[in-house]
Amino acid sequence: MASPASIVKLPNRGMASDPEPAQVSYLPWLPYWAVMEADFIQVLRSWVYRSWVLVVALTAIGLFTYRWGLHHEAKIIQPASHVIIHLMRGMMVGSVALVGVIAAGAIAAERGSLADSILSRGISRHQYYLGKWHGRLLAIMLGHALLGAIAITGARFVLHEDVTVEGGAAAVAMSGAMLAVVVSLGVMMSALFARPLAAAAALWVLLYAAGVVFGALPHSVPTPEWVLQKLPYVLKGEFTREMLVQVGMYAGGACIASAVVGMFLFSRKDI
Amino acid sequence: MAEVAAEDPVVETIQLTKIYQNRHIALNDVSLRLERGCVLGLLGANGAGKTTLLRLIIGLHRPTAGSARVFGEDMTPNSAALRRRIGYIPTNPRFPKGMTPITYLDYMAKLFGLPSDVRKPRMGMLLRAVDLLGAGGTQIDTFSNGMTARLAVATSLINDPDLLIWDEPTHGLDPEARRSMLDLIKGLSKEKTLIVSSHNLGDIDEVCNHAAVLSHGQLIYSGPLHDLKTRMRRNHYEIDVDGDQKSVTRALATIKTLGDVQHASLEHRRITLRLQEDAVASSSLAQVFQTLSDGKLTLVGIRSVGQQTEEAYLDLVEKEEQRGFTRIYRQAA
Repeated sequence: MASPASIVKLPNRGMASDPEPAQVSYLPWLPYWAVMEADFIQVLRSWVYRSWVLVVALTAIGLFTYRWGLHHEAKIIQPASHVIIHLMRGMMVGSVALVGVIAAGAIAAERGSLADSILSRGISRHQYYLGKWHGRLLAIMLGHALLGAIAITGARFVLHEDVTVEGGAAAVAMSGAMLAVVVSLGVMMSALFARPLAAAAALWVLLYAAGVVFGALPHSVPTPEWVLQKLPYVLKGEFTREMLVQVGMYAGGACIASAVVGMFLFSRKDI
Repeated sequence: MAEVAAEDPVVETIQLTKIYQNRHIALNDVSLRLERGCVLGLLGANGAGKTTLLRLIIGLHRPTAGSARVFGEDMTPNSAALRRRIGYIPTNPRFPKGMTPITYLDYMAKLFGLPSDVRKPRMGMLLRAVDLLGAGGTQIDTFSNGMTARLAVATSLINDPDLLIWDEPTHGLDPEARRSMLDLIKGLSKEKTLIVSSHNLGDIDEVCNHAAVLSHGQLIYSGPLHDLKTRMRRNHYEIDVDGDQKSVTRALATIKTLGDVQHASLEHRRITLRLQEDAVASSSLAQVFQTLSDGKLTLVGIRSVGQQTEEAYLDLVEKEEQRGFTRIYRQAA
């Protein structure tokens, strides 16, 4: 180790006899940004995220190949909106498991001494939670938007049929809103449980319970099933701005509510 | 950033209690006060509550009762501004995978909200100071224990803190790295307030001027280290002599007859001597030396057994356990 004297020559503010040092202007939201940036990169590098992207991409390729085969071999034409809706269902329902695992590991996976080394610095629990939540949300939404855009573009320019650009964008936004709720609930569970597996299990129980509750709600409420039923029409451009706002409001409300609950409980937990 | 008022202690715990969900009482009614410039050695056996106390002070845990005040303000999990003035090293520091010392230190500096023009020069200076500049681009996963400890030191100093809390900083270090760490603590103690937790009482004895002793979650001593050793003074000495065996035996017989000598025994050429509690050690020892001189024996060395920190600590813990047993016994009776 280098001479300790070299370390103790640091500029110091500690003792009363020292001359007044230059005041450091702290950036209050930099800790939040640092956690979000680090988490975003960490998610992009994780094998679960890469598996999710690969599974969805392979499903898309498989569906397009199947439709191309039907058209060329059996001369059966399926509307592009039907093909895309199958894919979107797959993206939403099929990938909930993997997205849930990604979200449930946000905080729980860092419990213990790794969280010690972060939360013992100049960051509040609220900022840490927000950084983690937004990091995961950004990574999932980016993956979803990218895969959705590729699917819509493929449908529009390869299949030459009934999918409009606006409808495709709206469909990606609506399905993305549903995934955002899953991510938000996953991060909330991650803050409440010490182990990622327990957090993921709790998330699935919660989603199952929510599914039962959604079944009892009036048809006007945009539940995930409602969104999936509307998607074929949305893809064709048959949607209203109010419909998008309504889905956004419900999903946004659920996301914010889960974040508030998660932050409140996380700031009262021992790490 | 608000400076600490002159009368405010750097750390103050008031009846601090922590009971975990499994109903284990980790810390019980601990009131402690740490003034500026102190180097506090936190002593205690495994499970005594040392790490729990440090985690409460840093805001990683919430107290069940009582409070932990740092720089005159209550510490909570959201007290980011208070933690900006603290440098912490956990027992076994762990680092995120795939990071290098440069990326890790930059990340930590960002967590303190340090702007780029402050953190970049500080990172370079610290990496040079802990001799990791050459390994700045190497993955931390490949580091040895010593390198990891040095990186942890650099991390704890990145925010130029007023208070350093180091949980077992010499744990797992080889003798050379341990020596460097102790020298570093001594150097830093001239400028900063430190809390050092360690199992190694020799380390505490060397670098600390204050001590706090925890036993089963209770604070059984808090104050200057010198007072702890003085309080435990038991007038217990070991005297190494040289000369023929008959003279040594004769001298021992004479020493046993001295008024203040409670006990004297001989093992090889070492006389173990215990004086009365109220004896004036200097005059009693003068008589002992005179006896040795009369017997033409050479004094090779003398050691005060009772004033070693380890002895003092063990004695304190032993007395506390006896008191606890007595309390239980009386209640049962």
